[in-house]
Amino acid sequence: MKEKSGITGGRIAVYVILILLSVLTIIPFAWMLSASLKLNKDVFAWPMEWIPSNPQWANYINIWTKIPLLKYIGNTAILTVVVTLLQLLTSSFAAYAFAKLRFWGRNLLFLGYIATIAMPWQVYMVPQFMMMSGMGLNDKLIAMVCLQAFSAFGVFLMKQFYDGIPDELCEAARIDGLSEYGIWAKIMLPLSKPSLATLTIFTFVNTWNDFLGPLLYLHTDSKKTLQLGLRMFIGQYSAEYGLIMAASVVALIPVLIVFLALQKYFVQGIASSGLKG
Amino acid sequence: MKKLMKKAMALMLALLMVAGLAACGGPSGEESKAPEATKTTESKAPEGGNEPAGDEEVTLKWAVWDINLTTYYQPLIDAYVADHPNVKIEMVDLGSADYQNALITQLTGNADLDVVCVKDIPGYANLVKGGYLADLSGEGIDSAPYGGTIEQITVDGKFYALPFRSDHWVIYYNKDLFDKAGVDYPTNDMTVAQYDELARKLTSGTGADKVYGSHFHTWRSAPSLFAVLDGKNTVVDGNYDFMKSTYEWVLAEQNDGICQDYGTLKATNTHYSGVFFNNQVAMMNMGSWFIPTQIEKVKSGESQATNWGIVKYPHPEGVAAGTTLGTITSVAVNEATAKKDAAMDFVKFVGGEKGAEIIAKTGTFPAIKSGAVLDELAKMDGFPTDENSKEALSTTQVYLEMPMHDKAADIEGVLNEAHDGIMTGAMTIDEGIQKMNDEVGALLG
Amino acid sequence: MQTTQRPAVSEAVAKSRKKRELIKNVVAYSFIAPNFVGFAVFTLVPMVMAVALAFLSWDGSTNNPITFVGIQNFIDLFQDAKFRQALINTVAYAVITVPLTMAASLGLAILLNQQIRARNFFRTMMFFPYVASMVAVTAVWNMLFNPAMGPVNMILSGLGVENLPRWSVDNNWFICMGTVILFSIWKFMGYYMIIYLAGLQGVNPDLYEAAALDGASPWQRFWYVTLPQLRPTTFFVTVMLTIQCFKVYDIFLMITNFGPGGKTRVLVGNIYEAAFTSRKFGYSSAIAMVLFVLVLIVTLVQFRGEKSMNE
Repeated sequence: MKEKSGITGGRIAVYVILILLSVLTIIPFAWMLSASLKLNKDVFAWPMEWIPSNPQWANYINIWTKIPLLKYIGNTAILTVVVTLLQLLTSSFAAYAFAKLRFWGRNLLFLGYIATIAMPWQVYMVPQFMMMSGMGLNDKLIAMVCLQAFSAFGVFLMKQFYDGIPDELCEAARIDGLSEYGIWAKIMLPLSKPSLATLTIFTFVNTWNDFLGPLLYLHTDSKKTLQLGLRMFIGQYSAEYGLIMAASVVALIPVLIVFLALQKYFVQGIASSGLKG
Repeated sequence: MKKLMKKAMALMLALLMVAGLAACGGPSGEESKAPEATKTTESKAPEGGNEPAGDEEVTLKWAVWDINLTTYYQPLIDAYVADHPNVKIEMVDLGSADYQNALITQLTGNADLDVVCVKDIPGYANLVKGGYLADLSGEGIDSAPYGGTIEQITVDGKFYALPFRSDHWVIYYNKDLFDKAGVDYPTNDMTVAQYDELARKLTSGTGADKVYGSHFHTWRSAPSLFAVLDGKNTVVDGNYDFMKSTYEWVLAEQNDGICQDYGTLKATNTHYSGVFFNNQVAMMNMGSWFIPTQIEKVKSGESQATNWGIVKYPHPEGVAAGTTLGTITSVAVNEATAKKDAAMDFVKFVGGEKGAEIIAKTGTFPAIKSGAVLDELAKMDGFPTDENSKEALSTTQVYLEMPMHDKAADIEGVLNEAHDGIMTGAMTIDEGIQKMNDEVGALLG
Repeated sequence: MQTTQRPAVSEAVAKSRKKRELIKNVVAYSFIAPNFVGFAVFTLVPMVMAVALAFLSWDGSTNNPITFVGIQNFIDLFQDAKFRQALINTVAYAVITVPLTMAASLGLAILLNQQIRARNFFRTMMFFPYVASMVAVTAVWNMLFNPAMGPVNMILSGLGVENLPRWSVDNNWFICMGTVILFSIWKFMGYYMIIYLAGLQGVNPDLYEAAALDGASPWQRFWYVTLPQLRPTTFFVTVMLTIQCFKVYDIFLMITNFGPGGKTRVLVGNIYEAAFTSRKFGYSSAIAMVLFVLVLIVTLVQFRGEKSMNE
């Protein structure tokens, strides 16, 4: 049990530091929100008005007609959900083998995965693009799924978590007659809920925010993702500060909602005894 | 050890070949698994090959940039489709910022593009080197009406793109800001020094009310190419000492707050149109492609610079008025397309006389420029009504921003970087020019 | 094993063990296959092709020949001033960004691992920059740090600072690089804070109680209990962060655009440029290989370190 002493000096200092840091961290978003409700000429007015006296809600209406934002969001949402599901399933599966099974070529294969994390995507994007085009995947959302669903990152992260679970647990289950699949499904998965939640958030965010992949693969307007659309918008309407910020806010909201929804579960998961063994 | 290396190399090469084959859409076993896109193309090829005007459906994919900001794509398509009801044309917007990169990447991956726009000369040079474009020289196109532009893009007796737009640089000015400052409007015969002087007179205010006399967009061509207007040098010669005086006066304007700071414009990724729309600048040197955008945005209310005009580009002392910079934009056929005849027909339409008329109606400069076309442009609804603006549409001598050169893209990369260094003050003018001389010198060997 | 066993029995044992071994391998591979097949097809194969490319000369067009040039691309590399500059920048960026981000994220994690009110709220706040889209936040960053009108410089000028920094376009390398580094720390510290928080959950609370009974100060508890217990996490964070820094591209693209005058070019920017501007795919892959080797070295050093740490 942690000591539950009352208000001490140390405690107050912690709060002060935390509040200060939070404010610093969050200022860019506050600015974004504030600027999104202003006329272009007022965005840089100094001293600045944090809460615009004459909020331009029209900015939030205009962005939907300036670019097909809804379409972009839809594409991104489909992509993100598919990639995240595939990533969770295949990564936790593979990570179990790497963490808890002894087999031929284990270290070699795992080194292969680590090397992939290391290899910037830009290194092989051209041969990859050619190959994908040869398969007829160019300008298709499925290309982005292939690109992102099998990342080494997921395997690596899950393995790190599984390594923390004592081998004796698996041994005991084997003695009880559980198959390896059973151990994975009945012991590892429930224990690794926090890490699954973590991976979900990371994969979701990475896919949602990916910019360079879609830039190369998706060019028809109806297939573009939100990030690509946002970047094009910034390029075309660069002096429309208010509109750019409004579009940016819209781009952030879905990911914020998902994060907040999952975050509760996620923190609970971390706090549960899963990782303490 | 050596043997192993050789073996590994052979394996890698083999893999590469396989990928190459797959990308070529060769008749390998895997083709049958390829999704519809490839299949339809292949099944259509034999029939569509000989009769472009046939009855069966053809869908052409046309690579363009900035669909939203460009006024003539749709009218061109509408006019063509009206005559060819069996043809459908889909535009693929690759964005303007990185268009040539995106295009060549798409073509490398054999994306199923049929017709492509070619944005600039370096891009064209790369496309030709890579063999991506179909030869147009045997298609019976008369080069005479194109005012010498076809000759400028001819390589070894062949040309691979048909110019459909040819723009030249002019000065856009905001009449209201001139009136407010009590300064006379600029004229069609203005030296560079006079332009500088005028810009200084028009600069006023601070903060949000600041009005800049001139505006140089962040492109290298905007400020630095005043240096080539005397016709004595080009930017592919390998020596750039002649640019020094131009950079000197431009930097002086920047230091004196006559034009917006390059670094700031770059940091905020500022588009020149917004600056002009918002009455922030009195004069701006920009290509004639901005005319239709400005007209349209005045109508839609997006541009607040409603009272505007254009005049001829400032010229160096001793050079005739009407000397200016130019660019050409062209259309081409993807060498790898299975619908070559249909694509060729569309390209000839866009780059031909009919296309020119349609383009001119939207206020854009077609490559085929007759007196009638220029009249058409000046008569456009929304075009400034003063005589000077109309006269500014004609030119006496046009130098291409980037002449055709085998290494144009590499040279441009060096020049852009040095330009960035000079304009931000990261390098002195002398250092920047030295960099250009050294690095381009190395490229030219 | 007893040495007195009869040969026939030991043979049978060996056989059944071999069979069990085989089944074990098959099961293990069935776990790995779903991920590995996708990974092999979409990552490994193109990667091998990229390696091959480094020894070839090719302009990327299937219409033009591919020629084998041996190590010529690598020879060219070391005569390329742009490459040297990019290499130095990339390493410098990593060397500065990695420890700063790690310190920030560990500090945050420790603060937020305590029993305090609104803990989740604070965690969410700190994590938020990481979830935010790069395109959107670089746009804000560029506005905040706008050299002429941005609020950061307005505040600095209000404080009486002369010669205001011009941030992403400053011709002082430390300032334009610093702008990117500051952004990177802000963007990524939340991510690594979460990893550290997860790691802190694994620290045995008994150890703290024992340390408290021994009269250890909070600092001593951190130094002698928390840090050693966090070693695997720190290993993970170091590897991931270093790699993330080495392969940086989009942050520089969107904040400095590798300027001013190419001062902030980074390796991946050169790879991109060599491939798509100069159309030298072999050369571009050669740069990529250098980057790859660099990262691999870091990873192997860490791998070794972890191994010796565990033994």
